[in-house]
Amino acid sequence: MKTKNLLQTIAMSLVSFVMVFALIACEKQDVTNIDRDAASIETKHISPEMARVRDYVPDMAVVAHRGSVFWVPEETEAAWRWAREIGADYLESDLQCSKDGVILANHDDNLKRTTNIENVFGETVPETRVQFYMDHAGMTKAEAEAQVKADRLSFTPFYTKSYFYEELMMLDAGTWFNEDMPEQAREAFSTQKQYVSSLEDQIMYAEGKMLKRDANGDRVYTLTGTWDPANPHTSLKYTFEYVDDPQDTGNRPGIYLEFKESWLNPSNFEQMVYDELDRLGWNVITAPEADNTPFYVNGKVNVGNTNGKVILQTFSWESLRRSAELYKGQIPMCFLLWHDQITPTQYAAYIDIAVDNLSHIIGPSIAGAPNNYFEMNAPWMHDMIRRAGLLNHPYSFDTMEQMHVYFGDWHYGESDFAAPYLDGLFTNRTELTLQYMIDKGLRHPDAAQKVENASACLDRLGY
Amino acid sequence: MKKYILMPIVALFTLANVAAQDFDTAPTIQIGSKNNDAQFTIGARMMADVAYYHSDFTPLKSGAALTDARIRTSMKFNDWYFYADFDFSKGKFKQKDIYLQYSWGESQSIKAGYFCDPSNMAGNTSIGSYHFISRSAATRALAAGRQLGVAYKYAGEKFFANQGIFAENLYNDQLAGFQGVTLGGRWLYRPINSENNAFHVGINARYAKITSGENYQGVVKTNVTLSTPFETYVDTNSDFMNAQVPWASDVLNLGFEAMYVSPKFFARGEYIYKSIAKERDDETLFKNQLGTEWSWGSLASWQAGNPLKTSNFHGAYVEAGFMIFGEPYRYDSKNGIVGGMRGKTLEIVARYSYTGLNDIEDGAYYFLPKDQYIDEGMLLDYPASSKSIGGGKLHAVTLGVNYSFNKYVHMLVDYTYNCFERDKYPYDKNFHALQGRLVFSF
Repeated sequence: MKTKNLLQTIAMSLVSFVMVFALIACEKQDVTNIDRDAASIETKHISPEMARVRDYVPDMAVVAHRGSVFWVPEETEAAWRWAREIGADYLESDLQCSKDGVILANHDDNLKRTTNIENVFGETVPETRVQFYMDHAGMTKAEAEAQVKADRLSFTPFYTKSYFYEELMMLDAGTWFNEDMPEQAREAFSTQKQYVSSLEDQIMYAEGKMLKRDANGDRVYTLTGTWDPANPHTSLKYTFEYVDDPQDTGNRPGIYLEFKESWLNPSNFEQMVYDELDRLGWNVITAPEADNTPFYVNGKVNVGNTNGKVILQTFSWESLRRSAELYKGQIPMCFLLWHDQITPTQYAAYIDIAVDNLSHIIGPSIAGAPNNYFEMNAPWMHDMIRRAGLLNHPYSFDTMEQMHVYFGDWHYGESDFAAPYLDGLFTNRTELTLQYMIDKGLRHPDAAQKVENASACLDRLGY
Repeated sequence: MKKYILMPIVALFTLANVAAQDFDTAPTIQIGSKNNDAQFTIGARMMADVAYYHSDFTPLKSGAALTDARIRTSMKFNDWYFYADFDFSKGKFKQKDIYLQYSWGESQSIKAGYFCDPSNMAGNTSIGSYHFISRSAATRALAAGRQLGVAYKYAGEKFFANQGIFAENLYNDQLAGFQGVTLGGRWLYRPINSENNAFHVGINARYAKITSGENYQGVVKTNVTLSTPFETYVDTNSDFMNAQVPWASDVLNLGFEAMYVSPKFFARGEYIYKSIAKERDDETLFKNQLGTEWSWGSLASWQAGNPLKTSNFHGAYVEAGFMIFGEPYRYDSKNGIVGGMRGKTLEIVARYSYTGLNDIEDGAYYFLPKDQYIDEGMLLDYPASSKSIGGGKLHAVTLGVNYSFNKYVHMLVDYTYNCFERDKYPYDKNFHALQGRLVFSF
């Protein structure tokens, strides 16, 4: 009898337990759903003042990534002239600094890939430096040799900060492209010497100019002042000369400037760029353009004449903070993202950091060949960016396939989040991007509705 | 909300339904020698848990789990006692208590083997007689569990002392280095000490020397993980409350406790403070990083970029039970703990616990995408290694109803509200858990 009672109790307990569990199981159980999680997160939102500056930027801006990396050697005169003529809204660049304070454009940490620096200087201090010190530092030959000897002790080869800009002008920034990209090679990229460009060069190309060259094809400039190691970035002054570009057809793009990793540049680099923009009349904080200046006029790009003429960008957390402190959100700022396997929580944190640090734009990487970057621009990510009041400028497009994806034609077309998943883009194929946008009716009606053949454009520019 | 109302009603219905059943058997198998100087026992225990969770953002996995499936055996011969206990729950073998004990007089014993470190009250109370489905998160995160070693215990009427020396690693299977050593003890004063009425206060301490770890850049890198699930065993995710403490060297636990037991009421609580001092072979690590363009130039600069400091954590809990009917609460004087339910009993219980696994530098900036603290307080590309540890902070409140059908079969129902805070999980604040447990033990 006792055994029977025991069994009954066990059975009833189990039955009751199962009943409880069954009831619970009837409830719809939560599982992690990335779209739902992302949609449930409330990010910070930019202020009305920040939104006003955000609106300096044209909708669906086409940013010529490094000018072009497909058709011409990147970040050179050829690249930016082509980008301007083909109709890009912005000429993009990566800013670094020479030993004597010239702000210049170079993407990589060093100059090895995009110049012939290994052949010209090797890993030592340029041999011409003794003469440089004699000419520009008021030293005797003995003093100059002693100074060069001292330079060698702390010399780090191939970084822009290790060289005077006059030394960097000895480098050829064009021939490497012909060797690396034989299908796009053009003799003129070697014969018309391509220089490591300065920020001033980039701005002048945006304004419809080109380098003034002498009979040998070398650029014309003067160098004044006396080198002072105590004031390395201000003691020498370069005066570059430019001429009107005879092939200029009137496009006036803006410039999209990246502050590189903080260790590559001086700690006051953001201030140096601020001052240089000021000097060249491109600082809209000190020299604003008229409100409501159109982005396009008679089929020509006019962004370079608007308050959206300069956009700043960075991956660097430190530069982001310093830019916020200096520019105070008065020039459009893009926070670039690079992160593998990101969660909605992490993504939202990036956006909050961008808002806290007075950014107006998020620049996420996109997936897909040929670069196969991390996917940082899924539909939920774009939605999160837009809910914060920010613009989305993903980087960098190389193919029509990528455009189909992120404009919502293909894989993401059925997403809960409305396409397109961008508000502008960095592209390595500006001509393809423009044609795609024209075909989709996304290009502003006042902008050109026809794109010049990329190769023909290069022919016209003399390459 | 409907779920929270509905669930207890169903649970109570379940209790009432089964309470109609009763049995009284002596299921423990006992084999004794002719003159009764030797006795062998064998027994078993099962715990099956069911849990429903509700959270703000990250879901926990509701469901059921066999959380305890034990076989235990013991052998007693005169003053010698051997005990072994093995767990097969969740389909995995887990080593539980296995020890040999020798007792003399009324109050003294020495124990050697693998058993709970004596330095905390909760750990020395079997989960089978704990009155809650789980020990507090504070205990699970900060207190020691089983250790391999030897302990001496004195359990007098007024004073209780239990202390021992232990190895840090049960199987000496650390990746590198000596396995480390631990000293731990618990000391109580009991002004009231009878079977159904007792009051004690006490202190406890534990010191562990951590020497085992992994080979890292030519040195042994030690690490201590402090973690706990949300006072549950169905979803044992301990990622939320989780602190990784690198370069741990000397771990000190200090605590105090108090307990009151009367026939119909008990209350007990502990406070646990944990300090983890660190040690690192800076000189070797500095030398090993030399030789690249980005090497630190001096030992002092390397140390400035990679600072170390002692990390401190703490936690506490208070638990109480009130017996509505049944067998009175019993104070286990031999172990300084309250006993479990016996016979047909209905009780209600409550607990508050706090677990603090944060040790964050004042003004530190938290960069969530990289789960990184920047002690300098601002965005930097290359900040010094952070001294901050953000393992989370948890306040948990539990209300429970326990019913014992008899001395073998118990059922527990707990509702726990977890108020969670951790920089890494900004959208996870509130976790609710409604849990049930069926216990069968003989």
